[in-house]
Amino acid sequence: MTELIPTSELPDSSDPDHLVKRSRGGFFLGAPVFLWMGLFFAIPYLLLFLQSFWEPTAFGVARDWSLDNYREVLGASQLAGDIYLPTLFKSIKIGAMVTAFSTALAFPLAYLLAFKVKRSRNRMLLYTLVVVPLWASYLLRAYAWKVILGQNGLFASMLSILGLENTFLSDLLYSEAAIVIAMTQIFTPFMVLTIYAVLERLPQNLIEASKDLGVGRLSTFRRVVLPLSLPGVVAGATFTMGLSSGDFVAPMLVGGESDVMIANQIYSQFGATNNWPLGSAIAFVLLAFVAILVWISTVAEKREQI
Amino acid sequence: MTDAVAEKSQDRPVETGSDSAVSVSLRNAVKRYGDVTAVDHLDLEAKQGQFLTLLGPSGCGKTTTLRLIGGFEELDEGRVRVAGQDVTRIPPYRRPVTTVFQQYALFPHLSVRKNIEYGLKHGGLNRKEIDSRVTEMMGLMEIPEMGDRRPRQLSGGQQQRVALARALVMKPPVLLLDEPLGSLDYKLRKGMQFELKRIHREVGATFVYVTHDQEEAMTMSDRIIVMRDGQIEQDGRPKEIFDAPKTSFVADFIGDTNLVDGTVTDSRDGFVTVDLGALGRVRGTSEAGLASGERARVSIRPTDVRVIATKGQGAVVTDAVLAGTHIAMKIKAGENEVTAHVPRGSSPSPGETVLLEVESERVRVFEAESE
Repeated sequence: MTELIPTSELPDSSDPDHLVKRSRGGFFLGAPVFLWMGLFFAIPYLLLFLQSFWEPTAFGVARDWSLDNYREVLGASQLAGDIYLPTLFKSIKIGAMVTAFSTALAFPLAYLLAFKVKRSRNRMLLYTLVVVPLWASYLLRAYAWKVILGQNGLFASMLSILGLENTFLSDLLYSEAAIVIAMTQIFTPFMVLTIYAVLERLPQNLIEASKDLGVGRLSTFRRVVLPLSLPGVVAGATFTMGLSSGDFVAPMLVGGESDVMIANQIYSQFGATNNWPLGSAIAFVLLAFVAILVWISTVAEKREQI
Repeated sequence: MTDAVAEKSQDRPVETGSDSAVSVSLRNAVKRYGDVTAVDHLDLEAKQGQFLTLLGPSGCGKTTTLRLIGGFEELDEGRVRVAGQDVTRIPPYRRPVTTVFQQYALFPHLSVRKNIEYGLKHGGLNRKEIDSRVTEMMGLMEIPEMGDRRPRQLSGGQQQRVALARALVMKPPVLLLDEPLGSLDYKLRKGMQFELKRIHREVGATFVYVTHDQEEAMTMSDRIIVMRDGQIEQDGRPKEIFDAPKTSFVADFIGDTNLVDGTVTDSRDGFVTVDLGALGRVRGTSEAGLASGERARVSIRPTDVRVIATKGQGAVVTDAVLAGTHIAMKIKAGENEVTAHVPRGSSPSPGETVLLEVESERVRVFEAESE
């Protein structure tokens, strides 16, 4: 005969105390993360935000509240003229170009990887080739481009060997184009990975179903593969757009004197110019732009889900 | 008329006569994956409007055979013909067949209506014709009000209907179905079996249906092909397959059966007598051409066994459980154990001794398997 356990001795999952105990445990487990994020992420951001409303003085900051910094950034101040907003737009333009080029490069590569390379060894090899650049630090890769595209660099000496020093090709050195090239190379692997992740999970039988219904290869790509890979493209593009329009290393290393991007201006406000409040204000305008970008892509993704 | 033509027409009188009625045919079809031969010199023919089922355990090559017809796999040897056209080297999107896939393969980013009209957009129809055909098909599938939903908002049974509608709206002469009921629960599956039968009658296309579920095959098919190791084990109407299995594999696969090995003692007039040791002798029908002294395998359906209680002699009942409408009984005699399904009521209980009886017409005798 089996003995029945009285139900009163079993832990009752509907008991509110029981639930409280559980959630408290979760809180303690999560505490280190909250602490870390609070100390090194939330508080610095908050300080920066407060600072963006303060006034710079000769050697520091005066805590006088005003919107002057934002006025200056948005070009509404007579004193500074209109320099930050055009730089922001230029940064966005460069970011958009980098995003467009790396998407154009990454999509075929991800497609190849997901559908055309059948042997797992070859796929592994190709995948590794895509990932390997990520193992080197970003700074190192940007420097590599300086070696290639910089003064007396690989590209410059190649041009001089070919006798093309003073043609349009030499315009590539220290230019906006150099910035775009360097950042495209840097961000393409991220794009490949996000697009590949989506394509790899695309059920093969959807492609078969399309062909089965009399639809050829190109139309199948347009009507099934492309729309279903869009979430990956949007995710990768958001990522690339956000990071590349806020970049300051590539313009510093391979850009020319006039090719300053918005992040370089923030950098100089915190450095040489020593105007932290203005730097903070520029940073928050840039942050607002990125936040809008992320919001748009989230909305786009949600609509795709339904 | 020249002699050569006359000779040719004399050569193949049967084929020319029945060509129009043949909807799908595979000739000497071979498909290999590395060292494995999935489909092994297979010949198959489905008549126009037939409901043909390919039945077999997993790995028997039934799905590969279906994919060869659909064009998703290329033949290593042999030819495929569909609706009178040689399609051996024709890609799937130009073949006159459509498929209902195992996991339905509905396009998740398109509404139900867009899913169904997907293939029609390339058919040169105008908007009005497309709309009317889609609406008609949704009526036939009894899903008229679901057009705006996305596949993920539908139940399994509804998705199934959309998949069927999407394939049938193309008006294919041949519809391929790859275990379409596999992921539905038992009750829905039973319901859909009758639905499929109704739809088959209404559209009149040839259905080639793949399943490993013998009950499903028995319920729906006009004809069943039992496959094993890439070859046809038996081809016939459901009743033939059930009542007169050609091999012990088929007997075992279709419905429950007892398979007992023994030695042939007598063979005459299509009946063979086999000595089953402690179980005694049994007479059964056979096409194996067995002679006295040969080893044989006997198939006896549990429902055909009659159990008669004796006092102190014969086989012993080891177990008896109530299985709904009948009692499933295990009976042991020497080395052999036999299952019998007997009606509920006064029946022997475990421990009692019994005598087993079975009608010779219901017993099948095969060659012994050498495994």
